Amino acid sequence: MAEWTFAALTAEPEVRARWERVRRYFFLRESTYDMTRRCNIRCEGCYYFEGDKQHAAEHGDPDAWRALMRAERDRGITYVVLAGAEPSLVPELLRVCHEEMPLGAIASNGIMHIPRAVGYRIHVSVWGNDETSARIRGARHMLARQIENYKGDSRAVFVYTFTPHNIDEAGDVVATLAREDCKVTFNMFSAPVGYSGRLRHTPESLARTRRTMTELLARHPDHVLFSPYNAVAHTHRLGLHDLFGCSYPRRNPSTDLGLGRSFRQYRTDLEWDRDAACCVPDTDCPDCRHYAAGSAVVTARLFRHATDPDTFRSWLDYVDTYLAVWVVDYTKGRNLCERMTAPPGFGLD
Amino acid sequence: MAVAMELDQLILNIAGIMIRELKLEDVTPETFDPDLDLVDEVGVDSMDLATVALVLRDQYRVRIDEDDYPKLKTLRLISQYIHGKLAAGA
Ligand code: SF4
Repeated sequence: MAEWTFAALTAEPEVRARWERVRRYFFLRESTYDMTRRCNIRCEGCYYFEGDKQHAAEHGDPDAWRALMRAERDRGITYVVLAGAEPSLVPELLRVCHEEMPLGAIASNGIMHIPRAVGYRIHVSVWGNDETSARIRGARHMLARQIENYKGDSRAVFVYTFTPHNIDEAGDVVATLAREDCKVTFNMFSAPVGYSGRLRHTPESLARTRRTMTELLARHPDHVLFSPYNAVAHTHRLGLHDLFGCSYPRRNPSTDLGLGRSFRQYRTDLEWDRDAACCVPDTDCPDCRHYAAGSAVVTARLFRHATDPDTFRSWLDYVDTYLAVWVVDYTKGRNLCERMTAPPGFGLD
Repeated sequence: MAVAMELDQLILNIAGIMIRELKLEDVTPETFDPDLDLVDEVGVDSMDLATVALVLRDQYRVRIDEDDYPKLKTLRLISQYIHGKLAAGA
């Protein structure tokens, strides 16, 4: 039996207000969709080009997408994540999806601007400075082009993915983004199944990433959407599944409620496969620290975090960050817990 | 006190908690059908259930295991679950 009652945990007005604010979004039910097989760049370690999904036929008919979105709405989906390979190459399909399903996010490399009429969150992926991007993504002047496309666009959040090799570059990149008044959040490279390349994290790179995230959060509080607990959860020696129990169908056999019941990951042929369904399929689960996975996996563990004030506040910070990153017009609040808190049942590292 | 509570009374009390916590409309504890499927017919999902579980933990000092959520498909099943735990603790 926990010593703290839920009533006591939510007694402080600031905490109560945050709880009431985030719980208004409990209606969000996500599924994800690969929009096209094509991409205008090719990045080392890209999730889309691992496994079978890259071989699915492309279904580019807007009417078919409209029908799919309506069917998704009928089965209770309220939020779509449009990804794989590069959604900006099919703006017409994005527009159709948005017309039918107003809430969602697009994962883009940011090289091409997505029309304003598509009112989704846009996650612009950043993998380091321009030199690094040229090397591992094969594209030049990435950051300048991304900023040019999305500066001043309230839909955009830049997602800096930490690999073991771009940790020291993050300071300059985030400073540049902050100077341009762009919002930024952090992702961790999580190895695809079978990947043994140089981007896989080590204990040393995890620790260094955590320190860097924490410093950047302190240095750019108005532009970095993150919290100390996000840093702990994503740079822990254990991956998300081991820490929290993954709620996506690929690891979760329950079909009764939650993501195990509702979540599907559609491929470009509009088919889906329960055995492969998660936000970043073909990721090696023990190495999964992906920001999109954490958004659902950590958020779903409300009960475990309702144990003591710091743990509950940390969870609220995590959910607040998740909503700010994924929902257009949701503004992140001040973090309620400034110190690092261990995931329930585990240590800090 | 709670241990001796009849199941019917417990169902009414928990219905009240669910209505209040989940802001359910057009239903009262008396009209809440305890055999409705909470997911398919009431629209409750895992986060809602976790919220209710926390309030029930406060109210009855009984913990609902996360692993048990899938079994708690109706108000009656939740009430029986709490009733059983209260009886076991008696
Ligand atoms: S890759 Fe991550 S999100 Fe996907 S099933 Fe594995 S642990 Fe879950």
